[in-house]
Amino acid sequence: MSEGQKRQNKLMTAEEAVRKFVSDGALVGMGGQSIGRSAMCIYHEMIRQRKKDLTLVGCNLSIPMDMMVGLGLVRRTECGTGNLERFGTTQSWRKAIEQGKLVNEDYSHLAMVTRFLGGEMGLPFMATQSLLGSDILAKKSSSTGKKHEIIDNPWNPGEKVVLLPSLNPDVSIIHAQKADETGNLIIEGFLAHEPEMIRASRAVIVSCEEVVSADEIRQFPERTTIPYVYVSAVVHQPWGGHPTSVYRCYAHDAEHMREYQKAAREGGPAFEAYMEKYLFSCANFDEYLEKVGGLRKLNRLRQEMAELL
Amino acid sequence: MASDYTLNELMIIEAARHIRDGETVFVGTGMPMVAAMLAQKTHARNMCFVVETGPISPEALPVPTSVSDPKAMHRAAKLGTLREVLGCLLQRGMVDVGFLGGAQIDHYGNINSTVIGDYQQPKVRFPGSGGANDIASLAKRVLVIAPHEKRRFPERCAYVTSPGYLDGPEGRKKAGLKSSYPDLTVVTDLAVMAVDKTDGRLKVSKLMPGVSFEKVRESTEFKVEAASSMGRVPVPRPDELRILREEVDPGREYLGKGD
Repeated sequence: MSEGQKRQNKLMTAEEAVRKFVSDGALVGMGGQSIGRSAMCIYHEMIRQRKKDLTLVGCNLSIPMDMMVGLGLVRRTECGTGNLERFGTTQSWRKAIEQGKLVNEDYSHLAMVTRFLGGEMGLPFMATQSLLGSDILAKKSSSTGKKHEIIDNPWNPGEKVVLLPSLNPDVSIIHAQKADETGNLIIEGFLAHEPEMIRASRAVIVSCEEVVSADEIRQFPERTTIPYVYVSAVVHQPWGGHPTSVYRCYAHDAEHMREYQKAAREGGPAFEAYMEKYLFSCANFDEYLEKVGGLRKLNRLRQEMAELL
Repeated sequence: MASDYTLNELMIIEAARHIRDGETVFVGTGMPMVAAMLAQKTHARNMCFVVETGPISPEALPVPTSVSDPKAMHRAAKLGTLREVLGCLLQRGMVDVGFLGGAQIDHYGNINSTVIGDYQQPKVRFPGSGGANDIASLAKRVLVIAPHEKRRFPERCAYVTSPGYLDGPEGRKKAGLKSSYPDLTVVTDLAVMAVDKTDGRLKVSKLMPGVSFEKVRESTEFKVEAASSMGRVPVPRPDELRILREEVDPGREYLGKGD
């Protein structure tokens, strides 16, 4: 198990962070939700390094999961949804499941965060009273071991309680608004399942919009979302969440979201062309940002967010 | 008169009326969010809107396209975590109404948003539960909004993602759900159907203006019956329509361009 991360400078490139902390076959915890705050810059790098045989876990798994599934890099997903809401179901994921090429295990969002809660507390399982009577409990994939156990509340016989196995990702991937170089994080806006998942993970890679000084963090420690002890690597990448939105920084890029969904829905050459254009032919995330419209486009997304605040 | 509004607008307006002022409402993405916003801007100004990514009591801006959209976070009392809202509010028993959409809804009010066909290699894969199972399992009352299409209302769902009354009036109780006998109401563009607690089945409690019971029956795969007293949904008031069109969804993102 993890012994905590040290107080040291953890600033590195995405390339370095992925090489150091993501291995083939890893159980990867995915932060963000739907069109909000995915660490796209780190996932692009995982894809360029062809990290494979991955198990991807989280609550709502969105675009980066779908890209990795489409490229055949994923063995298994465990989640509450594969969904981009108004932009539709994650298409590569949907097709891979329908074709029997991907094992997915369904949970609810409360169930997934309950499993991370068990993991972050250092416990083997955690309880919920959701899911009862549904097929989320009744059905499972053949490669899933024991999915749950229903017990009687020892203090109130007759009351049912569902136990779910805890989940400790090998590495979680998070995008934050601010971090200092040791990995103290400030995440603004919604947090979804991230606090529990981060604290349950053996390693955490964080990309951030802004690197702030340790003094800025330590002067107002009550504002720290996650302290450095859970964090392994800090990658400074402004606009690193594009095309998802980053609260207080920029809105999601609906146009690009539709472009991706169109390519994923079509699959085959259309999907490969998207990947070639936006990932494989880019040496790094800054080159990708140029291709999606550069500062002109990005500043417009910043303006869009500013108008909402 | 009838051409003054679309069926979609009518459905959203009727669904909004089922939310009472002061209630805590756990709102799913899409149509539920639009209807909840309308309720908040009309008769339920003090409702507490909760969204699964963590926002507690926001005054949402028109019109969120996702539960992670900053528009759903506007002027919230708190931007919390998923565990805080699904766990510490919903599972804790503090949510009055769970408000969902649904891909498939069966005779017992069960919802399928996961698969059609075999679970391991389905014919069609949908997005999955998200927070919907939790909302249907744990809210004191369940409200569902969905357009009325025949294939959407099968006798039994192929996969029960979110529990209604499962298989009968005691279904939830037997399964161990603490919210054992919730009011469960489905609002469509043709009718309002509510679970009859004597047999656990959805029955037509109200018809939309201008819609016949026969029309509802023809548009429903399961053999839907009329409730013992079947009423009629009042036509939208001018203020409901105006607020929906001008303040809730001015871009007609969810209202559509008309039918």
